[in-house]
Amino acid sequence: MKLIRTRQEKLVFEISLPEKRLLFEVLKLYPLISATHHRLSKTVKTAKHDENQRLLEESLAAQRQENRKNVRAMLNEPGRFQAAASGFQLTLSGPEIEWLLQVLNDVRVGSWIALGSPDPEQGKKIVFNEQILPHFRMMELAGAFETVFLDALSGHPPVE
Amino acid sequence: MAATATPEVRPGIHRDEETDSRTDLEPGYRVICWNDPVNLMDYVTHVFQVVFGWQRQKAEVHMMQVHKQGKSVLTRESMEKAEFYVHQLQKYSLHATMERD
Repeated sequence: MKLIRTRQEKLVFEISLPEKRLLFEVLKLYPLISATHHRLSKTVKTAKHDENQRLLEESLAAQRQENRKNVRAMLNEPGRFQAAASGFQLTLSGPEIEWLLQVLNDVRVGSWIALGSPDPEQGKKIVFNEQILPHFRMMELAGAFETVFLDALSGHPPVE
Repeated sequence: MAATATPEVRPGIHRDEETDSRTDLEPGYRVICWNDPVNLMDYVTHVFQVVFGWQRQKAEVHMMQVHKQGKSVLTRESMEKAEFYVHQLQKYSLHATMERD
């Protein structure tokens, strides 16, 4: 998958059929992180803070529902993936890429949590087995798609 | 016409220990981003740029702090604004919290 051109503030990516299948596979997993994973604070503990924590969880849940709706709409939208000689052309606006990044990183972080939150620099390595292999695969795939979108947003020239 | 009664509780005397509107409006909360080794460096830089409107160079300085020191204080804000920024960062699945100064 690569950026091939920008057109009227939209970015056009070339994506092969196998890449498209992988992208769908990743996006369909969303959301992976539970609504109660994020904490507003590590130290502030008051009744007001508890209420704000509840509101934060509600807000994140609503945000996820909206993102999930957007993902489904995108996957099913006719013409979103235009057939091309090398596979498909996927056209996305800047805001669409922003929420796709949120979705992809939810899958990446959620997969990492499912792996036991490994941190090789702290000596917490991944112990591979058949059960965790799918999580590792999804973490890496989500990261690979993130990199393509980040490169495109940072103004890297399109590859024709 | 009813007589004006002396109020039993004078305004301005009662103090709620948990909510202090004065301090809530002051920049007494640090917004902190903590290191999660799973997040890509370019991704973290991008999120800081989007959420705070920073130039890439400033965003990279804070990203490197997170990466090397385990955390970075991104801004000091009132409670309400700190909550807003924490929420924005968490929408991108970054590990962010607000802590009192």
